[in-house]
Amino acid sequence: MKQIKFIFTGPPGAGKTTAIATISEFPPVSTDVFSTDSLSKLKDTTTVAMDFGQITLENGQKIGLYGTPGQRRFKFMWDILIQGGLGLIVLIDNRRPEPFKDLAMYLDNFSEFIEKTDAVIGITCIDIKDTPTLDDYQDFLKERGQIYPSFAIDARNKDDVLFLLNTLLTCLETS
Amino acid sequence: MDNTIRLPENVLAFARLELQKIADELEGIKVVVLATEDGFDIVSAVRDGSDPSRIAAMASSISAISTVVSEEANLGDSKNVIINTVSGFAVMQSIIRNDARLVLNAIANEKAVLAHVIYRTSHFANSLLTL
Ligand SMILES: Nc1nc2c(ncn2[C@@H]2O[C@H](COP(=O)(O)OP(=O)(O)O)[C@@H](O)[C@H]2O)c(=O)[nH]1
Ligand SMILES: [Mg+2]
Repeated sequence: MKQIKFIFTGPPGAGKTTAIATISEFPPVSTDVFSTDSLSKLKDTTTVAMDFGQITLENGQKIGLYGTPGQRRFKFMWDILIQGGLGLIVLIDNRRPEPFKDLAMYLDNFSEFIEKTDAVIGITCIDIKDTPTLDDYQDFLKERGQIYPSFAIDARNKDDVLFLLNTLLTCLETS
Repeated sequence: MDNTIRLPENVLAFARLELQKIADELEGIKVVVLATEDGFDIVSAVRDGSDPSRIAAMASSISAISTVVSEEANLGDSKNVIINTVSGFAVMQSIIRNDARLVLNAIANEKAVLAHVIYRTSHFANSLLTL
């Protein structure tokens, strides 16, 4: 069975590294270093190259889990990491000042990739800040004509992350 | 730039002077950039129109990946990374100070001598550790 490759992207602090660590069957490869910008107020480290983990589904299907750096200055890594990928998981941090702008930025930058493959969206930290709501996100996506499945998730919760993964798999099977 | 790292003024002054000297004195140097480990340029000397901020980000990614590789192979801390190409090379030298984790990046064309560049970048790294 061919290994499937999924890519996690989204702004710094949205939970990409956490989500991969939550479900990976081995300790993920991590390239986090200490952050020196304003992000360091939120968390100590940031991913500067990639995260890599793996999960094997009950049917034996292996899925490679690749996380990107969030910051635009690492865009060259985005272009490397999507190669051979079959789907994109966009995590959006609801605490950030302009989450729609964040979402638009990743959907735009990965547009070519997700047109060829598929995407799901996970909104994190809704427990900390409950607006915008999931409905607001779905309206925003509808306006853009990009009806990707979107859910509220906690990147620390295994079932939540697996749910995103399974949704993406289902999208791929039915498209 | 919203980078909050603050190197002591004497360290910055030394870095400005020394990077310019490396760029001026060594043949074939295209650009030298001192950057933070998370990919922000702090001081640079550019001879070919390169964008130091792009180089800083790439150096950060490559250094991080080389750290993963050296850990995986039980090789101890990664000191530098050299990318040798048909028309030049890039040297990325880690500089781990108590107050800052840095990467020095030197990019040179085929006229440069790799050993000379490594000598100067390691020397620069050692000086930054003692300042
Ligand atoms: N409260 C809360 N914290 C979360 C949630 N999802 C992730 N986190 C935390 O947010 C941080 C995300 O950091 P990280 O995974 O490094 O983000 P990355 O930059 O996207 O890789 C971690 O400290 C997680 O524990 C969530 O839904 N609620
Ligand atoms: Mg990360």
